[in-house]
Parts: sequence; structure tokens; C-alpha cells
Amino acid sequence: MEGCPRNREIGPKLLDLIPQGRKWYQEDKNNTDQEKKLELRLGPPGGDEEDHSAIKKKNTEIRNIKKETEDKSFHCFNGNHFSPSNKTTSVPHISQKRTAPGPVVGWPPVRSFRKNLASTSSSKLGNESSHGGQINKSDDGEKQVETKKEGMFVKINMDGVPIGRKVDLNAYNSYEQLSFVVDKLFRGLLAAQRDISDGQGEEKSIIGLLDGKGEFTLTYEDNEGDKMLVGDVPWQMFVSSVKRLRVIKSSEISSALTFGCSKQEKMMH
Amino acid sequence: MTEEDSSAKMSEDVERYLKLNPPCSSSSSSSAVAFANKSGTFKSSSPPCPEHVLENVLESVLQFLTSRCDRNAVSLVCKSWYRVEAQTRFEVFIGNCYSLSPARLTHRFKGLRSIVLKGKPRFADFNLMPPNWGAQFAPWVVATAKAYPWLEKVHLKRMFVTDDDLALLADSFPGFKELTLVCCEGFGTSGIAVVANKCRQLKVLDLVESEVTDDEVDWISCFPEGESPLESLSFDCVESPINFNALEGLVVRSPFLKKLRTNRFVSLEELHRLMVRAPQLTSLGTGSFSPDNAPQGEQLPDYAAAFLACKSIVCLSGFREFRPEYLLAISPVCANLTSLNFSYANISPHMLNPIIRNCHNIRVFWALDSIRDEGLQAVAATCKELRELRIFPFDPREDSEGPVSGVGLQAISEGCRKLESILYFCQRMTNEAVTAMSENCPQLTVFRLCIMGRHRPDHVTGKPMDDGFGAIVKNCKKLTRLAVSGLLTDEAFSYIGEYGKLIRTLSVAFAGNSDKALRYVLEGCPKLQKLEIRDSPFGDAGLRSGMHRYCNMRFVWLSSCVLSLGGCRDVAQALPNVVVEVFGSDGDDDDDTVTGDYVETLYLYRSLDGPRKDAPKFVTIL
Repeated sequence: MEGCPRNREIGPKLLDLIPQGRKWYQEDKNNTDQEKKLELRLGPPGGDEEDHSAIKKKNTEIRNIKKETEDKSFHCFNGNHFSPSNKTTSVPHISQKRTAPGPVVGWPPVRSFRKNLASTSSSKLGNESSHGGQINKSDDGEKQVETKKEGMFVKINMDGVPIGRKVDLNAYNSYEQLSFVVDKLFRGLLAAQRDISDGQGEEKSIIGLLDGKGEFTLTYEDNEGDKMLVGDVPWQMFVSSVKRLRVIKSSEISSALTFGCSKQEKMMH
Repeated sequence: MTEEDSSAKMSEDVERYLKLNPPCSSSSSSSAVAFANKSGTFKSSSPPCPEHVLENVLESVLQFLTSRCDRNAVSLVCKSWYRVEAQTRFEVFIGNCYSLSPARLTHRFKGLRSIVLKGKPRFADFNLMPPNWGAQFAPWVVATAKAYPWLEKVHLKRMFVTDDDLALLADSFPGFKELTLVCCEGFGTSGIAVVANKCRQLKVLDLVESEVTDDEVDWISCFPEGESPLESLSFDCVESPINFNALEGLVVRSPFLKKLRTNRFVSLEELHRLMVRAPQLTSLGTGSFSPDNAPQGEQLPDYAAAFLACKSIVCLSGFREFRPEYLLAISPVCANLTSLNFSYANISPHMLNPIIRNCHNIRVFWALDSIRDEGLQAVAATCKELRELRIFPFDPREDSEGPVSGVGLQAISEGCRKLESILYFCQRMTNEAVTAMSENCPQLTVFRLCIMGRHRPDHVTGKPMDDGFGAIVKNCKKLTRLAVSGLLTDEAFSYIGEYGKLIRTLSVAFAGNSDKALRYVLEGCPKLQKLEIRDSPFGDAGLRSGMHRYCNMRFVWLSSCVLSLGGCRDVAQALPNVVVEVFGSDGDDDDDTVTGDYVETLYLYRSLDGPRKDAPKFVTIL
């Protein structure tokens, strides 16, 4: 593989993107500028003297808006794209340490019926060579009746944040886990929004989603269209009836839940 | 028929035809004169057009052409050949159901017996496509029901099929013989029941990795009484209980049954009964491979004896809820096995060893990574005939343990030199191991490596995985399908473009630095047909660089890249024969989308009949 130049400079200056004779696209020295114009950005324009790795990271960040990735690089949206003081460095991804990333849609690319092998009875066996033939027969008295567990992605929006996300409810077992995930999903986004609007820009945890004590409260819309507070019913019942989630300002609970809601009494905590 | 028989028969046909329809002596066609000389005798009556002679001969010849590439070439020679080819084509393959309308199909081909139809692109399997996107079988079944009453075989992949569609199919084709539904959805056991009941000549009913709704219909009982022509019955993906007695009865009256793939609701005892009834089986899906828990007073069935009696079994799968203590029951058939699928069974190296060391003839092996590098080494030591290996993750998350690695990959490459196809999920990999495989396995046509952690480099050197994949494309000269992963720079794609001259399918995720990468591929790979890319920094410039290719490709998928609506529109406007669809991942047009210009998903494909009319609201066709 020798002889392949690693061109890491900005801008493919020498490259001709089109075969001779075709003019699909005006190729000129300002190619990179045009490419950059097409890139989506959040945050202040200009001042882009980064190298390719940073551009890639920027692109990653842009994409990350729409995904449930928990890359810490995400938190760079604080008006200062590549400040080294952030949780990740601006060195290319090799040294990026991801701590417990959340699920990305469709990754790894394994079909849904292959995903929950750990929860079928065979998971209790196997990989323990000490067991040999001595498998306890007392486990599943009944055959586990699972339906194929697909990722159950529901949309979640947050007041004050224009970008919606999605959460896979099948990945969690409790309201606490869900609350934790909501915090992770929106903390950065919320801070970015606040930074844009009033220059605060620091991140605060989103807490108290379930008890009404925090600044925000988690609500949901069920399959009958009713809007309810999250946390009242057993988890499985919640998962089976929820259609979408919304994080609202706690101060607006009563008005947010009034419309189309016939279960107002549930709201009184 | 041997070749000599067939050519002899052909010349007999020609002679007989010529005796009945002798060419005119005054014909100026040299070929007619040649025929006249050969046949020897002719009367001077009014001749048919020489074209008819040729067409008849052509018909006789073409019946031996089965390859669709050859047939496509034949149809381009001239109008007459086009016509004859269309009359004699019995099997049609449609790789993208939206590349043409059903009406066009029925207009061109008049005598189809077999249809293969593919719908959604592969990334739809991973929730990257909103539901109700399309690929409905309905318009196809309606059109073919009218046009091809003698249709015998339908094979669908990633299509949306309803119970009504199945009912119409069952009603419309009296000679229907084979139904195969791969990765399909939209139907339930009631639809299957109708097919079972009405298709009296049904030989093949294969449901593979499809989603089948449980309508609580006892579909097995719907097969008609009397001897059944069934040869293959696969329902391992059906997630609902079945009437076992009815199944047993069906098996008993299916003397031609060779392939039976049961689902996980069939217990080991029940499997045993089936095997006793059908010792002629060649392919067996073992269901749960776990005994019922009802305590057995009598002696336990002798499972090993059952396997011993089924001398013809060459393919085993299932093991959905297996019990290790029964696994050795399959030992009697191991030496004959050519295909073994353990990919639903959490099998340790310790469990695998006694089995695999007898599987000298295995050609296809699927397993979970629970077998670890150690298990792969055992496979490499014994399975010298291995052609296809698939290792799936037991725990498909990004940060799970990762029991297989480059060690296992390298071992396989050293032991299984005839390897042609590999799908390998792992957490970490090295360029060295991948390069070793490229050097040891020159027969590779399919190389799909999924390093589950995104952007992971070589875990020993810390470098990108460019060199490994570069070695693959360079050394594996027969490579037609490639899936890349791990940390990859544009350089990897320059290698692909430079060496991947036979690549038809390329899958890319979380890779590359810039549009250059996309350009390398689109300009360098002349055979590229299917390109699926997600979460990579490719934008409008990269997209434009492939303008000259899109009319010659089946499809291009780009999701979560950096495309703008304007860039996609440019392609749509420049290429009228290409349909350009853009949509979000959500499936409804909410206030969720970030900006109006950002394109979440681009799916483009060539089409003879323009944009489809059944696109849902969330799809915009540019």
C-alpha cells in the first residue's frame, strides 16, 4: 500500500471531481468553501482553521443531533466547538473515549430477532464449561413466551429544544433508567439552546423528572391519545401503552396535560 | 438431457420443421439456402419468412439459456431476438420492485412461471427505514394473477405481503408450487393457512426470517388430506405455537419431504417423533432442542438413535433453546453435515469441540461468538471444506465483551483455505489478521467484517483499519461483496476504488473523512450495483461524483450523512431515469426535523416507469 499519499490538507486542491468533459459541478479552487457551505452547522460561523479530523468530528456532531448517540463529543456544542477543556479532545477519534454510549438506531447491524438471545432460556446455559451436563432443570417451568423484541423506539421532545430524539424503551427496565437517559439525551441540547438564547451555556443535569420537583417533568401520550405524567403505572404497563414522550416545564404541567385529557385526577400528586 | 442429446434433438426439430415448411429455392437469404442444402429435399411451395425459421430455432436454443445475464444479452441483439427471448423466459428476477411497474412486466413477458421480487433495501432490517415505506406485493399479485395463470413459483424478499395478497395468490394459480418469503412482513398465520389449504400442488413453503403475525389460526391443519407433494416446509421464524399432531400427520403423509425447519415451539421429544416419521429428511431445523418439562415417567427417547436413523441429514439448524446435555445426540450425522447453523445457540468452545471435530465436510457454518476464538480454532482445525462462515454476536452491543477477535479470524484463514464468504462480528480487530485472511483465502467473494465499536482502530497498533481492508480488495481478486467497519480514513476507500473492480455490493458505516472517499468508490468500482452508506461524512459533492453511475446501479442508500436537499435535487434533475427519494427516520412529518434542508436519508434507484405512486407522505420524491 505504499505510494498512496495521505493527503490530509484541507481541500482537494488537485482533485478533479468530474471526469473530463462533464460539468456536473463547477470545480474551482473554492471547492472547499462550497463544500463547507453545504455543511450544516450549529454555532458561530467562521474561524474554521481545523484540519480534516476536526471537520470529520464536526460532521459527526452534526449527525449526532439526529441520533441517540452518547458520544461525549456531543457536548462540544457550547459555542466553542473544539475547546480542549471539553470532555473529549479535538484529537481524532482514536483517543476518543466513549463512556457507555447509548444505543444508536440499527447499530450493530443485527436483525431484531437476533437481539435478545441473552434473555431466552439458553442464556442460562452455555459458556460455563464447569456445568457440563449438570444443568439445573428447575429453571423455566414454563416456556418463555417472548415476542420478538424489536427496538421499541418512541419519540421524545423537550420544551425549548427544537430537535426531537428517540429512545428505545426496550432497553430499559425502570423509570429511573429512563429518567437517566433523558438527562443524557437532552442535557447538551438544552445547554446549547440556552447558550444560543441567553449566553448561559453551562450544562446542568436534568433531574427530578419523575417527582415534579425538578425544572422539568416527563410526560407521555398513550395509545388513546391521553397525556399523562410518567411514573404512575407499572413499567411494563407504561411500555405497552406509551406512544410518545415529552419533557415539559414543571411549571406548565396542568396546562400541558389538560388538552384532550380525561384523567386529570392522575395529575394531582 | 446431455448436450449431445439436446443438440441432436434440436437438429431433428429443425429438419422436421423444414420438411413441413421448406424454404423457397429463390430465396436470397444465404441461411435459407444453407438449410435447403442440409435437408436435401424440398418442394417448391410458398415459403414462410426465413425469420420464422430463425425464430423457431432460436426458441429451441433459448430454452437452454437460464442465466438471466445471458438472456438479457440475447434480448438486445435485435427486435426479433427480443421477442423470442420474451416468449421463452420463464423465470424473472426483479432486484428492486420499484424499478418497473407490474404492467411493464406483464406486457413484455407472456409466459412466466417463476418470479423473484425484492423490495426494501437491506438497511430497512435495522430500523433505518420508517414503517409503511412501501414494497407492497399487492399490485404485483393482482397483475400476475391475470397475466400468468400458470405461475408456479414466487420468491419475495423484504416485501410487504398481506393475508389478502396470499389469498389472491392461492386462488389465482392452480399449479402453484413454491412460495418463499424472506424477510417479509404484513401477513399472519391466516394468510399461510389459505396458501396451505388451496395450493394443492404446493411443494415448497419456506418462511425465512419473516415476521408472521399470530392470528391464532391452526394453519398446519389446513393442509389438505391425502398424500402431500410437500418437499420443503420452513417455519422457524413463526413465533407462535403450532398444532403438533397436525404437523406429525402432515409429515407422515409427505413422502417427498426433504427439508423441515420447525420453530422453537417444537420440543425435543416432538422433534424425535418427526424424525422417526421422516428418516428421508436432508435438512432439519431442530426447533427448540429442549425437552418439554412435563416429567417423563417412561424412558427418555433415544435421540442419538433418531439422528443415526436419519442418514440423509446434511443440514442442521434450530437449537433455539438448546440443552447442552442433548447436543451430542447429533453426533451420528456430523460426518455427513455440509451445513450447520448454531447461530441461535449460546454454545461454548467446550460444547462445540466434540461436535465440530467430526464435521469434516462442513461447507457452511453459522454460530454465535460464544464459541470464542478457541472454537474458531477448532473449526479451522477440522473444517477444511468450509466455504461460508458467519459469526453473530451473542450480545450485540458496542461495549460488550468480545469473545472473538483477530486471533479467531486468522486461525480460520489458515485452516479454511477454501473460504468464499465470511460475516464476522467482533469488538476488536487487527490489520494483521485481516491481511492474513486476504492472503490465505484467495477465493473470497464476500467479506463482511463488523467491528461493533464505532470508529475502532486496530487494537494493537492503534492505526486505522485501512491497510487490512486494502489488503482484502487487493488480494481477493474475486471479491464481489464488501462490508467495512472500524476506523477508516479516505485511504481505505482509495484502495477499494483502485482494486475493487468486481465489487457489486458495498456497505459502509461510520467511516471515511470526506467526499473523496465516496468519489473513489463511485469512480473506481465499475461493477458497483448496491451502495449502502450510513453515518459517514459524505455530502453533496460526493453524491455528485457518482452521477455517471446511478443509471447503472440498482440503488444507492445514504443515511445520516451530510447531504442537503439542494444536492439531492441536482441529482434528481440531472437523471430523469433515476428516482430520488428523501425521508427522515421518523416516519411522519412532525416538527422534529432539524432544518428543511438537511437530508436524513437518501434512497435512489433507477426506474423505467418513473416515480412510484404509492409513496407515503413522509417520503419526498425529488
